[in-house]
Amino acid sequence: MMSASVVPNHPAASSTPFTVLIADDDRINRMVLHAMLKKDGHTVYVAENGQEAVTLFEHHQPDLVLMDVMMPYMDGYEATSRIKAMTGERFVPVIFLTAMTDAQALVHCVECGGDDFLHKPYKHAILKAKIAAMERVRQLYTTLQSQKNALASHHRRLQREYEVAEKLFSTIVHPGCLDAPHLKYLLSPMSIFNGDLLLAARKPSGGLHIMLGDFTGHGLPAAVGAMPVADLFYVMTDKGYAISDIVAEANQKLKAILPTGVFCAAALLDLDATYSHLTIWNGGLPDVFVRQPSGGPLRRLCSQHLPLGVVDNTRLDRSVEVIELMPGERVYAYTDGVIEASAPNGELFSQPRLEVYLTQDCAPEQVFETICDGLTAFRAGGPQRDDLTLIEITCDAGLANQISPEATTSSVAKAPACWHMALALDAMTLRTLDPLPQIMQMLIALQGLHAHRERLYTILAELFANALEHGLLGLDSALKHTPQGFVAYYTAREQSLAALEHGWINIALTHTAMGPAGQLTLRIEDSGPGFDYQRCSLDLAANTTHSGRGIPLVRALCQALTYHGAGNCVAAVYVWSQGETNVLQRAS
Amino acid sequence: MVLVTRTSSDGKVVTIDISGRFDFSMHQEFRRVYEQAPGSATQYIINLRQTEYMDSSALGMLLLLREHAGGDRAHIEIMHCQPEVKKILTIANFQHLFCLD
Repeated sequence: MMSASVVPNHPAASSTPFTVLIADDDRINRMVLHAMLKKDGHTVYVAENGQEAVTLFEHHQPDLVLMDVMMPYMDGYEATSRIKAMTGERFVPVIFLTAMTDAQALVHCVECGGDDFLHKPYKHAILKAKIAAMERVRQLYTTLQSQKNALASHHRRLQREYEVAEKLFSTIVHPGCLDAPHLKYLLSPMSIFNGDLLLAARKPSGGLHIMLGDFTGHGLPAAVGAMPVADLFYVMTDKGYAISDIVAEANQKLKAILPTGVFCAAALLDLDATYSHLTIWNGGLPDVFVRQPSGGPLRRLCSQHLPLGVVDNTRLDRSVEVIELMPGERVYAYTDGVIEASAPNGELFSQPRLEVYLTQDCAPEQVFETICDGLTAFRAGGPQRDDLTLIEITCDAGLANQISPEATTSSVAKAPACWHMALALDAMTLRTLDPLPQIMQMLIALQGLHAHRERLYTILAELFANALEHGLLGLDSALKHTPQGFVAYYTAREQSLAALEHGWINIALTHTAMGPAGQLTLRIEDSGPGFDYQRCSLDLAANTTHSGRGIPLVRALCQALTYHGAGNCVAAVYVWSQGETNVLQRAS
Repeated sequence: MVLVTRTSSDGKVVTIDISGRFDFSMHQEFRRVYEQAPGSATQYIINLRQTEYMDSSALGMLLLLREHAGGDRAHIEIMHCQPEVKKILTIANFQHLFCLD
């Protein structure tokens, strides 16, 4: 026996007792080993042959095995193979103790799973040293194994969280009505989470809002900002807010939540119900193009503003650009992932190349596919460096109006009640506030008229616009009949409204119950001079151009539409009954 | 060296030359450069003469520098942009936040 001081005193090896299995058919050997290990504080199991060793191993799962080679019933090789097959991911060292010296036999010890061997007769100090060394390896292995397990379970948890987040993300950042027949789009995110944002929603007045955004970077950090933006885009569009209001709200939100240096380049597009004009706010996205059906030169809508989330709302420019659209024209918006898509040699797809695709002689309905095919061929299977999004909007009101309205969750109207609501708006209020979304919200809250919302919004919006634009601002709608007239009209409207000092508009809503039916009377009066409504209504009835769509449309939607006073007061009567859920019948 | 910094003798003007690709890979270094700039610095000049490409994270880095240099009070000039780089800056309308030559 050696004294303890000779044993390498590795703390991990000597301080932690472990379990040892001894397999030897020689009784003396067994006793000596057993005594030595017991003295060091280890728990010892003893087997007289390989068969017994395997059984004991199965029951006691020892940490180390000392194995003789030549034994009856089952030899040490076979026993070691079986033991190693049972250890799974655990590392259980097996040290062969053998009298054999020929190389082939020793090689076989290792081949069948042995970790080391020692010749008999051996010095106990050497055996103790080997055991200590093996114990160090075992502990290292155990540490690695537990780290590996921790990593694996961490990975599994992340994967699960990712799946939940992805579900949440795609529910909130849903594509809205992107599947409408007049829209085509290409979304190619780099990872599960898209740092590009493409949203489309019907406006309550008909027409469409589209938002295309590109957050700095890609993957999850870029996608996080998409959720609040998508949410407010859908909610505000649904309530009838204009894109400049949505821009302001999104900017404020993103400025508050995004760290400096992360922002969202975005374009918001507003197409009216007749697809005769496009209102756009472009902050940081590449040029948006308008292509004529016959090809030819493109119209270009450049980025005019800082991206969203860079400056606070006091410095934000909410002003929009308005252009007239012709039937069959197509609008193209995209993120820089498209023009920065690269070929295997590093060359970029580039904006000029995109413009070539847009201007080349090609059937209009094939332009989008041609660009997509061109992009795929250009990239030639090379790696994608950024999220990539492209959308095409066809100005075809017929196609567009096939969009089915989203089902509303609470579409049950409340039983008709009697109430009255009046709003008096002075010049300052009119300059700064669009009252329509608020009025609509109150109407929904009071009466739950979800199914009638589009019609009511259209009536309210058209009559309010007339009161404001013609009554107070004195704008001449004849302006709209000239080419590019809408743009001039819009500019004049903005300027006059900003300069409005005097005047007022009173809006009164009166609701009465008539059994299961309800009757809503909407009365709008302005401080303007009025107009000769008897003559004008005849003209209006005959007017088929889009700018004159207002009054005939309102007439088609109402039970009655009457002018009063000097023509500065209008009353519309709308009758509804419970259970009626049809949508706006467009008067086109 | 893709990022070279010079400070004027009075310690007021810090010039940063950036060459090659100005993108996310430069994030750490760019940040280190402006954080280590002397406290006396009142003006930054970003020289992009040798910059071939910049991405949106480079725009983000410029915004971080702007914040570091005092936000709306920051005086940062971005100089010698090549046409492609200039285009990226103007699409983002960064002329509202920085002096672009």
